[in-house]
Amino acid sequence: MPKKKQPKLKIWDKTIGSDYIEEIDLPQMHSWFFDGTHSIPPLTPLYAWHWVKYCSHGFKVACSELSIPTCKGWELRTLNGSIYCAFHIVRDPKEIAEREVKFRQALRPWLEDFDGLWASNKKELLGIYSQLKEVDVDNATNLQLCHHSRNLRRAYLRMWEIHFLGMYASNNAWLLLETMTKERFGIKDQDPEFQDMVRGFDNKIYQMDKKLWEFGKLALKMKLEDIFKKNEPQAILTKLQQSAKGKEWLKEFMGYMKTDEVGGWRMRRFSDFTEPYWLEDPATPIRLVKDNIIKGSSYNLEATRAELAQKREAAIATLLKRVPAEEKDLFRSLIRLAGKASSYSEEHNLYCELFIQALMRRGYLAMGKRLAQKGAIDAPEDVFMMKPDEIDRVLMIPEAYDMRWLTRMRRAAWEKAQNAPQPPILTDRASKEEAIKKDLLPSKDVIAIKLVVGEVPQPKPELKADLWGICGCTGEAEGTARVVMMYEDLKKVQAGDILVCPGINPAWTPVFGLVKGVITDTGGTLCHAAIIGREYGVPTIVNTQQGTKKIKSGQKVRMDATNGAIYILK
Amino acid sequence: MDEANSLLLYLASKMKGETASGKLIFSFEEVGQEHNKLVGKKCANLGEMIRMGLPVPPGFAISIALYRKFAEESGAGEEISGYVSRLGELKGQKITLFDKLSQDIRGMIESKEIPKGISKMIASHYKELGKKVKVPDAAVSVRSAGTESRPGMFETYLNVIGVEDVLDKVRKVWSSAYTARAIAFRVNKDIPVMGDELGVAVSKMVNARSAGIAFTLDPVTADTSRIVISANWGLGEGVVSGAESVDRFVVDKKSFAILETYIGKKAKQVINKKRGVDWEEVPPKKQSVPCLSDDEIVAIAKMAMSLEKHLGEPQDMEWVIDPDFPPPHNIFLLQTRPAEAAAKKPEAVTDRMIDLITKRFYRPNG
Repeated sequence: MPKKKQPKLKIWDKTIGSDYIEEIDLPQMHSWFFDGTHSIPPLTPLYAWHWVKYCSHGFKVACSELSIPTCKGWELRTLNGSIYCAFHIVRDPKEIAEREVKFRQALRPWLEDFDGLWASNKKELLGIYSQLKEVDVDNATNLQLCHHSRNLRRAYLRMWEIHFLGMYASNNAWLLLETMTKERFGIKDQDPEFQDMVRGFDNKIYQMDKKLWEFGKLALKMKLEDIFKKNEPQAILTKLQQSAKGKEWLKEFMGYMKTDEVGGWRMRRFSDFTEPYWLEDPATPIRLVKDNIIKGSSYNLEATRAELAQKREAAIATLLKRVPAEEKDLFRSLIRLAGKASSYSEEHNLYCELFIQALMRRGYLAMGKRLAQKGAIDAPEDVFMMKPDEIDRVLMIPEAYDMRWLTRMRRAAWEKAQNAPQPPILTDRASKEEAIKKDLLPSKDVIAIKLVVGEVPQPKPELKADLWGICGCTGEAEGTARVVMMYEDLKKVQAGDILVCPGINPAWTPVFGLVKGVITDTGGTLCHAAIIGREYGVPTIVNTQQGTKKIKSGQKVRMDATNGAIYILK
Repeated sequence: MDEANSLLLYLASKMKGETASGKLIFSFEEVGQEHNKLVGKKCANLGEMIRMGLPVPPGFAISIALYRKFAEESGAGEEISGYVSRLGELKGQKITLFDKLSQDIRGMIESKEIPKGISKMIASHYKELGKKVKVPDAAVSVRSAGTESRPGMFETYLNVIGVEDVLDKVRKVWSSAYTARAIAFRVNKDIPVMGDELGVAVSKMVNARSAGIAFTLDPVTADTSRIVISANWGLGEGVVSGAESVDRFVVDKKSFAILETYIGKKAKQVINKKRGVDWEEVPPKKQSVPCLSDDEIVAIAKMAMSLEKHLGEPQDMEWVIDPDFPPPHNIFLLQTRPAEAAAKKPEAVTDRMIDLITKRFYRPNG
């Protein structure tokens, strides 16, 4: 092996069109908005590279396919591991009018047959994934891994091309329903009358939750209660192996993880490769089973969901009574489609990001292992500090390269970024307000406004609250605050806590069965936290911007979610 | 049943409203809702509006019987029925065939001299109207008035001046019972080809500052709690044709509060030329200025509501603002008919969602 030297060269480690370069990107787009939904905590270089390239491509494809009249897509950049977005706004009224013609045609099939289109997209994705799953990454040759690397990215590209189509369609319906209920009846999407109409839908996430709940019941029936109650997840796995009943339960459980169409191919963390997927580390779903067992027989997932569905039908009926006869069909269709915004938002993450990112983690880690074995990097995980082009260049003969100077430098920068400030807007406009007015709002992009950037909370001074946010799910709650910055810390959450976190992704869903309330720094009424909150009936306040900074773990907090008000009691 | 027999039955059913007096032309004041079959719906409604005390420009109604007299005396009727009886099955035929039929049949009507007795009758009413409005050769509109409301099927002629022109346009309105679209419509609905005969409404032309329509239900969402007014500068044709971005006002039916105001960029308007009318640029300064005052909006909404109440169903009313008269006497009503909202089929619900999403979220002024 050649002697490996550290270079003394000063290097320019930024890629135009991927990393945020102020001199280039600021004059071009004027304003860049922080995407708190996907970049807390900051992303590894490998993940950020993928996100910037392919998610942005997905936006451009959806805006072009659907011919969104006012926006041609999102531009993304990464800065210190954070994602920033800017919008290709169509400003010429003539061009907007031209795009509108195709928009009307392109939207139609989604409004007419949302479920059918999503089912066929799902099928396509599952087909692509099943080929990737078959690759034996540990025993593949270097060449096969090179090909796998490219196939993963091709699959990732296709996933993003599909990803936003259903989202734009259903979110537009949500926004229209909100606009109309606001105008006619003074009902906003933050109000219970609205939220009750769009929850309690079945989808794959809840089916999987239910399956885990049933595995808990099975464990009780097989008298394995003690093993689950007395041990931590890793030890539960070991203990289960030691008894016949335990082995039998585990065999059935792992069978589900391996044979279900999604099963264990599900990332624990939504937006990075750094944490294991369920199949890789079954301790993650085992913890959920344990939580269900601890909650005991009083917790009935099925009954909770059935109650929500019943409430939903009642809420829809109440609203329809107020709607004139000629418009009932219109409102009925709109409510149905707005409901898709909820269920699609959760389900698509499972079939889009969480699944393929599990495959990508597996693939890239296998490549990292090769590189680490030959000393090109320190450890397999250092592959997350590289970019695909760099991996491709060394993967055929890893023994010929020393990439440690690069991965160490990037790791140091990434670790430093964990504490770096994440300014909400980078702009050359006179003020933040002007940036929003000129460079965000004219995009009229429903995903930006309702999900990623979010609406600005409107304090109600008479309520004298300590902190304000947007109501994600109505209700009131009081309890001990538990500030959770990353998934690792989720295990500290106790039953009855109020979860305070930067944002939520579907991987966190099960914790909603445990907590009394949820407060997030980011998001809007269509973000994951708000949607999951509604589905579990957990009072949720989103977009407080500073919840994790102002609230400390252990403090007592009261939340009046309906008014978006948070009180820190002591 | 053959074409001739079914036509006889069909026309017999429509002729019941004829008066025994033998009178064939009426001033609007002389007719009302019950005279639908005598003078056509448009004329009957105009008479009804006058009875209600609503402002309608003066004019006269040419009865459907007068058309029949013309068709019989000029020989056009016989010629048409001979021609029609030779036609084969028309259902499912291409539109080019209907174009050909239209050209042929309209030619049979328009090539006929109007018999002296008839033209004299029309001319004398036109002269009387001139005396009434104190303009000898008064500019008039000549509009079709069938017994059924068939929006957009037949023709209307505006700013018609002088006896010769009036006679010519009356004959053209008569022949417009045979536009290609009207023939195709009748064929598809199993109505005999000769099943529509037209009365004619001849009204004094209004000098229009602005004009438009008022729906006493939202034509898109079918919401019956609101009145939707569309308006443009110039004559109402600048709104009806739907070609331009126009102003839109939504008024609450109960409180008459103006709920929504959308000011369109009104780039073009229809105005009176020396004869006839034409599209013209709106001066840039006026394009984005509302073409109705709040008082006018409310006054129009109130008139529309009184029509809905009187006639018992949502109305689609055409109005015009005449700058020659001081407010509130400057509003005139040109016609009214039952308002039709978009059909409520599933596709129509999708259409409405698409339309609302597009207009509410993505239009620059949405």
